[in-house]
Amino acid sequence: MFSKTIFKQTLRSNWKLWVVFTAIMAAMSALVIAVYDPKMIQGMMDMVKDMPGIADMMGDRMDGMTSLLGMLGQSFYGMQGVILALIFVIMTANTLVASQVDRGSMAYLLSTPIKRTKVVRTQAMYLITSVFAMFLVITIVGLSTVQLAHHGLWGPDYSKDVKAASDVLNLDRDAVADDLTLILNNEAAVKAGAEARGIQEDVYTVYLNQKLQTKAYEAAAEVLGIDADAVTKDLSLIKNNERALTAAAKVLGLEPAVYGATLEQTIAQSSLSGNAAQEMQAKFMAGITAAAEVLNVGAGDLATSMGKIKDNPKALTAASEAAALVPAQMFPEGTPAGVIAEQNEAAFLAVINGQLANDEISLDKGVDFSVKDYLLLNLGAFLLMFAIAGISFLFSCVFNLSKNSLMLGAGIPVAFFIFQIMSQVGSSLENFKYLSLNTLFDPGTITGNGTFWPQFAILAVLGVVLYTLGITVFKKKDLPL
Amino acid sequence: MPLIEISNITKDYKEGRGNFDVSLSIEKGEVFGFVGTNGAGKTTLIRQMMGFLKPDSGNIKIGGLDAWNDAAEIKKRIGYIPGEIAFPDAPTGTEFLRRQAELLGLTDMSYADYITKKLQLDPTANLKRMSKGMKQKTAIVAAFMADSEILIMDEPTTGLDPLMRAEFVDILNDEKKKGKTMFMSSHMFEEVEDTCDKVALIKDGKIIAVKSTLEIKHNQDKVYKLEFASVDEYLRFTGESFDFAEQREAQNQVLVNIHDTEIDRFLSVLKGYKIKFITEIKYSLEKYFKTFY
Repeated sequence: MFSKTIFKQTLRSNWKLWVVFTAIMAAMSALVIAVYDPKMIQGMMDMVKDMPGIADMMGDRMDGMTSLLGMLGQSFYGMQGVILALIFVIMTANTLVASQVDRGSMAYLLSTPIKRTKVVRTQAMYLITSVFAMFLVITIVGLSTVQLAHHGLWGPDYSKDVKAASDVLNLDRDAVADDLTLILNNEAAVKAGAEARGIQEDVYTVYLNQKLQTKAYEAAAEVLGIDADAVTKDLSLIKNNERALTAAAKVLGLEPAVYGATLEQTIAQSSLSGNAAQEMQAKFMAGITAAAEVLNVGAGDLATSMGKIKDNPKALTAASEAAALVPAQMFPEGTPAGVIAEQNEAAFLAVINGQLANDEISLDKGVDFSVKDYLLLNLGAFLLMFAIAGISFLFSCVFNLSKNSLMLGAGIPVAFFIFQIMSQVGSSLENFKYLSLNTLFDPGTITGNGTFWPQFAILAVLGVVLYTLGITVFKKKDLPL
Repeated sequence: MPLIEISNITKDYKEGRGNFDVSLSIEKGEVFGFVGTNGAGKTTLIRQMMGFLKPDSGNIKIGGLDAWNDAAEIKKRIGYIPGEIAFPDAPTGTEFLRRQAELLGLTDMSYADYITKKLQLDPTANLKRMSKGMKQKTAIVAAFMADSEILIMDEPTTGLDPLMRAEFVDILNDEKKKGKTMFMSSHMFEEVEDTCDKVALIKDGKIIAVKSTLEIKHNQDKVYKLEFASVDEYLRFTGESFDFAEQREAQNQVLVNIHDTEIDRFLSVLKGYKIKFITEIKYSLEKYFKTFY
């Protein structure tokens, strides 16, 4: 099938180019991973959201960027990684066949008793192996960087608060991470945990409760054998299944009956009409605006840093008064104004705490790193380059002159790349994506929940077809040697 | 059965370029020269013999195998010097030869060393900075080192100085003694005349003539050039019954064709004349082939 001798000789004349490109690419991806900071990214996102022009331009890409993998997919696997690998593939494919025929040095390979097909098959083999090895190195360097910079890749990772709280509780970290109620039920642990996270205790409590709730839904979903998302959307699924209810309640450390009642209340609340929800939102924004006036900052800025309202009693009072979250009819006639204000303030605080806790949860998700998704990302990038190398290789086999081989072997892959970039810039150019092979590798579908296996399969099959075609053409054509 | 049998090869590149109905046969142990001007179709035929080009029609058999279909199998018996010297990437000549030996499955480099010494080549030099002559020598070593029984050479002496050319001819004669079959192209008649047993002339893609060099060397039809002391003598001689090739009255010179059987009569006739000089004009391959142009 292949000639080991030719492979070795090809390797000897081409390894330098491979090392240069692989080193640059691995360093780039490692850099993107190492400097990733979810807090910073979130801040950037909030800033961008306030600038409608830029937000439009960023479009869908914004959503992907809030996690490490999403960020990596948008930057390295969307741009630098692809273009660098592209250049490597184009140069190598041309060197392996067309350039040797053009110069005439192929005569020395073919004046030996090694079959022409074997020669060209070995060259194809080198191209494929080099691209594969390239992404293998990038993957290994990437995983090592994740481990070094963000931890928690191998073995369990405990967030800072769990570590601090388990120290206070004098308990095993595993046990605490498994049962967050242990923290909730211990004042000192809550205090230590909140300190470790750098947030206030009340926010931390809300955060813990939200986490527990998510876990409860997950436990129920497992019992029901369905997706956790489906359970979150329709809580009656838990309530109507005794075993699911028991499992969820156990997570929260509650009696199933008590939990059932809580659930019922939540369901009732969530069935509020859309109008009511919107009304609440409007009320809340009015509160924010009022607080912003007191603090003398922009309402938009304040929306992303609501902690400031809590720190300023005057602002809080102004906000809760303006928002008046508790409907007036809830209070019996003659309720003292002080009580109404107090209740409104509490409601407003709860909403803010909820928001702040949500921020913490998305930060947790930011560093949430799926090794499987990362491997898939690299597999996708490899398959894309496998297919593109197939194009360059085919034309390298077809033409006897380097310049002709490069015209199509480099021209087509570069055009694909440009078309893909164009299709992302604006919706008016979106149809360009149908003109580009690069569209078949969309990092967003891997980090999000899209379908990607069919595209992967197309890339793999296309690559195999292109290489086979190139080898067949080379076998049959006239060589001016 | 000839070792190399080229039968009715046509490879049409249009505009009169290529090969047209070329047939040749080369016996085992024969040194075969292939002469023609630039663009006559020499390299095209050699590329077909090497299985790099597929003939439009006709076929080439080397040792009974088809040059196109069994190209790899045939290469086991062939050493090749390409017409254009372009080496693969290798730092030095030595390294290139080592890698080439690896591809050929050759472990014994003693013959390569022998040829290298004979050509006074320093193969340790940087392959890319070698002069044309050094590159040519390196290519010669690469073709000869496997001690293959057939050698196909496309203008193997290009870039060699006269001294090295003589050394190369020496090597060819050694190889010939070992019974090797050689096929070499050239655009220089003297070169093939010195080394080859048989020479074919190709013009515009067609074989014009095939001639054995032995026949040329032992040609019995000789040409003599004579100059007479005076015009009278010259005029008197032109009256003799000889086959005159040329008469130059202004110089009192004649060129006369004399077959070896006539030499006695020729000499006795000459006794009666006053001549300035007499010289035999050597019959050469070039002269022979000139008649076909």
